[in-house]
Amino acid sequence: MVPVTYYLTLSALMFTLGIVGVVIRRNAIVVFMCIELMLNAVNLSFVALSRLVGNLDGQIAVFFVMVVAAAEAAVGLAIIISLFRSAKSVETSDANQLNG
Amino acid sequence: MTALFFLVALVLLISAVGVVASRNAIHSALFLVGNLMSVAVMFAMLNAHFLAVVQVIVYAGAIMVLVLFVLMLLNIKLENQPALGKLVIGLAGLGGLAFLWMMVPLLQRSFAAIPQSAVDVQGSVREVGKLLYTQYVFPFEAASLLIMAAVVGAVMLAKRRYRA
Repeated sequence: MVPVTYYLTLSALMFTLGIVGVVIRRNAIVVFMCIELMLNAVNLSFVALSRLVGNLDGQIAVFFVMVVAAAEAAVGLAIIISLFRSAKSVETSDANQLNG
Repeated sequence: MTALFFLVALVLLISAVGVVASRNAIHSALFLVGNLMSVAVMFAMLNAHFLAVVQVIVYAGAIMVLVLFVLMLLNIKLENQPALGKLVIGLAGLGGLAFLWMMVPLLQRSFAAIPQSAVDVQGSVREVGKLLYTQYVFPFEAASLLIMAAVVGAVMLAKRRYRA
């Protein structure tokens, strides 16, 4: 059986890629997808640790993370559409109307 | 099993790099679908069968379709501003490496010592459902309220504003 630390290391790598993506990308939708990447990395470590301790609670946590991710997708994409209507762009650097 | 793990891990990491690195947002989204699928395979390998199926249906099926729909609705071409400087990208990469340098030995040290539980958890629909409808019934109902609020909020945010 694959040791659980392999899964955790993989999850850390995936989380790091998500962080780097949020920092370097400017398209708001890609930033949003990088957040999904981080959520999934955490989900993976939840499931791996649930297997390690022999308890289903970690999988329940993943279920609720998925619910919140779905809600976040709906609201986040609505915000991006409304940003596009007002700024004619989805670049995060164009969302600067509060910057006097 | 180990060979399968490394194969899926490779696909997962390559697609994650693709999400971050591709210039075209649609390519990013398609890479993310591949990534979510490989996470689903990982879930299945960890005996979380219910979550593997939900991952495919909810993430790859629903959320990514929504993201692709918005991408194509807004018809975004390549990022039209000049790319961030090499300095910023290098700094972000360094920050990521520093995070990994801190995190990976920590994970190895903290969790390698915990013995694998004798109970082999099976995340089947039956087991997860039993837990969701008994011990976690209030969070489950609260989740339905959350989704309700999110749907109403999304409609409010995205509708066109009519002149009064």
